[in-house]
Amino acid sequence: MATDAPAAAGVTTDEKALWERIKEPAIYVRLISLAVVIGGWELMGQTGNIDPVTFSYPSAISVAFWDLIASGKMVSAAYESSQILVAGLLIAIPLGIVLGILMGRFQTFEYAVDTYVFALYATPVVALAFPIAMVLGVDFVGKTTIVVFFAIMPIIVNVYHGVRNVDLSLLEVTRSFCSTESQRWRDLIFPSVVPYLVAGLGLACGRALVGMVVAEFLMSISGLGALSQDYIADLELDKGLAPVVLLMIVGIALTKVVNICETKFSSWRVRQES
Amino acid sequence: MSSSDNGTNPTLRLQGVGKWFGSLQVLDGIDIDVKTQEILTVLGPSGCGKTTLLRIVNGLIFCERGKVSFKGEVVDGPRPEMAMVFQNFGLFPWKRLDQNIGYALRIQGKAQSEIDRLVSHYTELVGLGGFEANYPAQLSGGMQQRAGLARALAAQPDVLLMDEPFGALDALTRETLQEELLRINEAEPKAMIFITHSIDEALLLGDRVLVMTPRPGRIRFQFETGFGRGRDLEEIRGGKRFQAMRHYLWEAMRNPEVEPEPIPELASE
Repeated sequence: MATDAPAAAGVTTDEKALWERIKEPAIYVRLISLAVVIGGWELMGQTGNIDPVTFSYPSAISVAFWDLIASGKMVSAAYESSQILVAGLLIAIPLGIVLGILMGRFQTFEYAVDTYVFALYATPVVALAFPIAMVLGVDFVGKTTIVVFFAIMPIIVNVYHGVRNVDLSLLEVTRSFCSTESQRWRDLIFPSVVPYLVAGLGLACGRALVGMVVAEFLMSISGLGALSQDYIADLELDKGLAPVVLLMIVGIALTKVVNICETKFSSWRVRQES
Repeated sequence: MSSSDNGTNPTLRLQGVGKWFGSLQVLDGIDIDVKTQEILTVLGPSGCGKTTLLRIVNGLIFCERGKVSFKGEVVDGPRPEMAMVFQNFGLFPWKRLDQNIGYALRIQGKAQSEIDRLVSHYTELVGLGGFEANYPAQLSGGMQQRAGLARALAAQPDVLLMDEPFGALDALTRETLQEELLRINEAEPKAMIFITHSIDEALLLGDRVLVMTPRPGRIRFQFETGFGRGRDLEEIRGGKRFQAMRHYLWEAMRNPEVEPEPIPELASE
């Protein structure tokens, strides 16, 4: 930063990044850890130390997983679940962004709604499942509403903070150059909110999955939640845990998607090369 | 943007400007005229209201007493004929260099071809050719401030407001940019108010140096440096006249209560 000498304009290539990762010890530590834990767990199962009625082990769960896929049960359950997950997120994301922006930018609106927003943020949403079921029913609408309640909170709160934390010196720059309010949103406020929004979306996706399973357990049982619960009730633990594995994979995939969005929208952030 | 002045009217006139933050008075009775193409450097200790003064001139904040006028019109808000260069550069981190430099032009709704033309002209002028696609964080502080300067120049203002623009830079970069600023200003002369707390910078860049007192900020004294245009900074630094004025300002800044002995070099002007 100190000198006026031209800074390196080059950007690290993907090839180089790959090499860096292969050289890192982190990846080996993780692989060894996985081998020990999963391998140990499997060994316990193979040697008869796990009672298949109360618990299961990796190879049995994998077999059950493929059986459920092959029989089409997993796919139809996942399809059922994904409907409330997607519907919930499609409502929660735009609604959360709009509410967060309005709260961050308009003081009167903030004072009017902040009590409810922060009260709901602090409330365990599970406790709302029954009142929601009473009012909206136990089917699609009720379940989607649960997902919305789970997912929307981190979006509202993050977007609100993003709008609030706009760099005041840059706000003065926009004023100094005679920017209009709409230009100010385009040049300053939206770009400042993006990192907060992306972090909020990451949290929202995780919470939406929780909301989905909660809704499927507590309301009319359906989807992956129901599939898992039915088999566990029948003491077929290997099949009962297979949908949980799928949920885990979906959770990881959603997090990855959010991470990719994050890198895409923050190409201007230069990683510190120390 | 019209140049209806006949050389006698000041481009910028401050009359009896007084400013309070709550019950604290920060500026008192500031009268300043800035002539067309004049470089006025404002020197004063921290907390003497220099930056506040510049923000009032820009129309970002208002003064409770007195008024600022630009070519006879009262300044009641930011206007495109004035452009500020900020101490901490004020670049948008998510905009590329060319987008940052063209920022004011986009705000003004200029045609894209016009924006491209002006951006490339001013990018070259400040010596940033080849770095258009970089983001601010990829550039050194000196280069970022070059971009800040290019952004202000591209807006083609009549008045440049410089808020300690080189204050955050190291000594070497600072000297380079001082020379560059003078070179650019000779190519495209503009009126300029340059805030600084460096005595050398005030003398080297200013046609006129104005010294302020702190709490509340008042004008203590001002004088013409008399170095003229096309000045060679190396030559000036080594000269007797510069040394005498520098010593004079040092004495003045060290003893805020006592006026220093007048110096013959200045009296002879």
